[in-house]
Amino acid sequence: MMSARPRTAIAPARRYPHWPIHVALLLVSFCMLVPFYWVLKTSLTGENIFVYPPSVWPVAPHLFYYVDVWYYIPFARYLLNSVMVSGLAIGANVVFNAMAAYALTRQFRGRGLIITLLLSCMMIPFQTTIVPAYLITGKLGLLNSYLGLALPTFSTIVCIFVYKASFDAVPRSLIDAARIDGLSELQIIMKIMVPLSTSAVATNVILSFIWSWNNFLWPLIVVRDPQMQTLPLGLSRFLTYHENTTGALYAFCIMVLLPGIVLFLLAQKEFIRGLTSGATKG
Amino acid sequence: MKAKGVVSRALRNRFVMVPLVLTVVIGGWNAYIALHSDGIVRGRVVTTDGAPVAGATVHIMEQNFTTNSERGKVVTGSDGRFLITDNRSHNIQLRADKAGMGRSEQQVVRLFFRAQNVTLDAPLVLPTPPR
Amino acid sequence: MGDAGTIQVPRASRRRNVPRRANAAGSKRRRELLLVWVFLVPSLLVFFLYRVLPLIWNLVLSFQEFSLFGATRFIGFDHYVDMWNDDVFWITLRNTLLYMASAPIGIALALAVSLMVNSEVRGRNIYRTIVFLSYPLMTVAVGIIWRWLYDEKVGLFNFVLRSLHLVDQPLPFLQSFELALPAVLLANVWQILGFYMIILLAGLQNIPQNLYEAASIDGASRRQQFVRITLPLLRPAIFLAFVIGIMTSFTSFDLVYVMTQGGPSHSSELLVNYIYRAAFELSKVDYAAALTVVQFLLLVVLTWLGNRLSGGDAGAVESE
Repeated sequence: MMSARPRTAIAPARRYPHWPIHVALLLVSFCMLVPFYWVLKTSLTGENIFVYPPSVWPVAPHLFYYVDVWYYIPFARYLLNSVMVSGLAIGANVVFNAMAAYALTRQFRGRGLIITLLLSCMMIPFQTTIVPAYLITGKLGLLNSYLGLALPTFSTIVCIFVYKASFDAVPRSLIDAARIDGLSELQIIMKIMVPLSTSAVATNVILSFIWSWNNFLWPLIVVRDPQMQTLPLGLSRFLTYHENTTGALYAFCIMVLLPGIVLFLLAQKEFIRGLTSGATKG
Repeated sequence: MKAKGVVSRALRNRFVMVPLVLTVVIGGWNAYIALHSDGIVRGRVVTTDGAPVAGATVHIMEQNFTTNSERGKVVTGSDGRFLITDNRSHNIQLRADKAGMGRSEQQVVRLFFRAQNVTLDAPLVLPTPPR
Repeated sequence: MGDAGTIQVPRASRRRNVPRRANAAGSKRRRELLLVWVFLVPSLLVFFLYRVLPLIWNLVLSFQEFSLFGATRFIGFDHYVDMWNDDVFWITLRNTLLYMASAPIGIALALAVSLMVNSEVRGRNIYRTIVFLSYPLMTVAVGIIWRWLYDEKVGLFNFVLRSLHLVDQPLPFLQSFELALPAVLLANVWQILGFYMIILLAGLQNIPQNLYEAASIDGASRRQQFVRITLPLLRPAIFLAFVIGIMTSFTSFDLVYVMTQGGPSHSSELLVNYIYRAAFELSKVDYAAALTVVQFLLLVVLTWLGNRLSGGDAGAVESE
C-alpha cells in the first residue's frame, strides 16, 4: 500500500509489546469487514432469509440469486450504461485534465487568476448546483443521454493538479531540447510529458472511474428513461420495487460492488496517491 | 528479441494480466453457455416404490419474481423418462400427475443460465394410488 | 542533469537576446498563447457550465417565480420569507448540522487507527487496506448493506443485541424518530473512516522521526510525545480532514435517500435531500434554488470559521 517508512516509531515499539495493537486492529478490521460478510452471506443463503434467529453461516448456499439478478432485471443494460458513462468520463478526464495542466505549466498572463478560479471552484460542491445543472443540461438537450450523464464529470480540478504536479517535475531542459529539435507542442505532450507521468494518468483513470461509477445523485436527476439507468439507479429502483423481500437485492449489491473493489485492490497505490495529493493541494 | 521482452513484461503487469484473465474467463463461460443452452431437461417419474411410471403428464411452470405461469407439458415414455426440449427459463418448477395415481410435489429446478441443458438426479415421485 | 543543464536557459531571456528574430518570436508567442487557451477551454467550459453558471443561476432563480413551462416573474425575497416559516427547512438544517458530527467522530476514530497502523506492527499494510476498503464503494450499495444490518426482524444489530439480552424488543432503527439519523451517521462513519485514516497517515509520515528520538532521550513519556509532538504537528492534517469531512457530510445525499428516504416524517432528512425533493418531486424549482443559496452560504461560513479556528493553516495548504 503506502510506502512504509523504514524507521517508523522504533523507540516506542521497543518498549511496548505489539499484541495489544494487534488485538485492537483485529477488532477494527472485524468491524470494517462484518457488513461485507453479512451481505455476502445473505446473497448466498438458500432458505428464507427472514427466519429469526438468522444463521451466522450461509444455509444451503447457492448462487442462484445472482442468476436471478442477471435475468429478472436488465442488469446487462445497466452495466452497459454504467460502463459507457464511466468510459466517457475517464477518456475526457485523461485528455482534458492533461491539456489544462500542461497549459498551467506555461507562463502566461492570467495564469494566477485561472489557478485561483480553479481553487475556488473546488469549494462549490456539485450538490449545490443540481437545480441549474439540470436546467442547463435540459437546454443542451442532453437529458437521458450518456453525454449528459458524463458531462459534469468531464474535468476534475483535483486531477488537473495531480497532472500539474507531475508535469512540473519534468525537467525544463528536456522540454526545451525537444522544442529545439522541432517537436510540436502536441508531440511534446504525447512523447515526453505523458510517458513521464504514467502514474498521474493512472490516478486520473482510477479517480474518474470511481467517481462516475458511484455517482448517484446526478443520474437520478437527469435520467427518466429506464433504458438509460446506470447501476446505482437500478439498485435503488430495485429497492423501491421489491423492498428487501429477496436475497437477489444483496446479490445485486455484491455484483455492483465487485468492479470497484477489484479495481481498488489492483491500483491501491495510485488511488491513495491521488486522494492524498488531491487533498493536500486544496 | 526486444519485442518478446516487451510482451512478457506487459503480461506480468497486473493491469494487463487481470483484464486478460477476466476476458478469458468470460469468453469461456459464454462459449460454454452457447454450447449448452438447447433448453433440454431430462428426468424421470417414479412411484414411491421406485417403479417408473409411463404416461404421466409433467407440467412445466416458469418462475418469475412474483409470478408463476404454466409453460407446457410433456408425457413420460414407457421407461418413465421424460424429455423437455423447449425450456427457455433459468428457474422452472416441475410437477407430474397421472389419473388415478395422484400428483407429485413441485420440484424447483434452478439453472445457471437460461435454457441450460440438465438431467435431473431426483425423480418426480407420484404417491402410491389410493386404494 | 549534466549536459542537459547547459541548455537550461529561461526561454524569455533567450528570446530577448535574439532581437533579429523578435518578429518570429512574437508570432511564436502569440501561437503559444493561443495554444494555452485552446488547451484550457474544455476544462474551463465544463467548470463554467456546471459550477460557476449554476451558482449564479441559483441566485437569480431564488428571487424568481419560475416554472418549467410558464413565464418567470421577479418576486424579491418571497422564497426566503417562505423558508423562514418553513418547518421542514429548519428540521433538515438541524439534521444536517447534527449529521456533521460524523466528521469529528470519524476523525477521532481514524486518529487512533492511523496511529496504530503507523507503528511497526506486522501486516500493517493489510490492516490499512481493510480499513480503507469501504471508502471507494458505491454509497447506494453501502446504504442497502446497512439497511439490512439495521433490519428490525433479522438485522445483525438486533440479532446481536437480542442474543446478548441487551434489549427485549427488537429496535426499529430506521423507523424510529430518535435512532434513524444516528443510524445513518454510523454508516457514514464506517464508509469514510478509511479516507480520514489516509489523510492522517500522510500527516503522521511527514513528522520528522528525530523529534521523537530527541524527546525519548530527554526522557519524555509516550503520552508527552503524543501531546507535545504528534498532535501539534498533525494539526494541518486533522484540519484538512475536518474541512473535507464537513463539506462531504454537509452535502450528503445518497445514504439517507436509500436508507430512510428522510423518514420517519423528516426526522432524518438532510438539506440536500430536501432540495432534491423540492425541485424534482414537488416541482418547486425556484424554492429549491433559494434553499441551495442558503446552503451554499452556510457552507462558505463553516469553511471560513474552520479556517479561522485553525489559525489559517488551510489557506497555506490550499494556495500551494
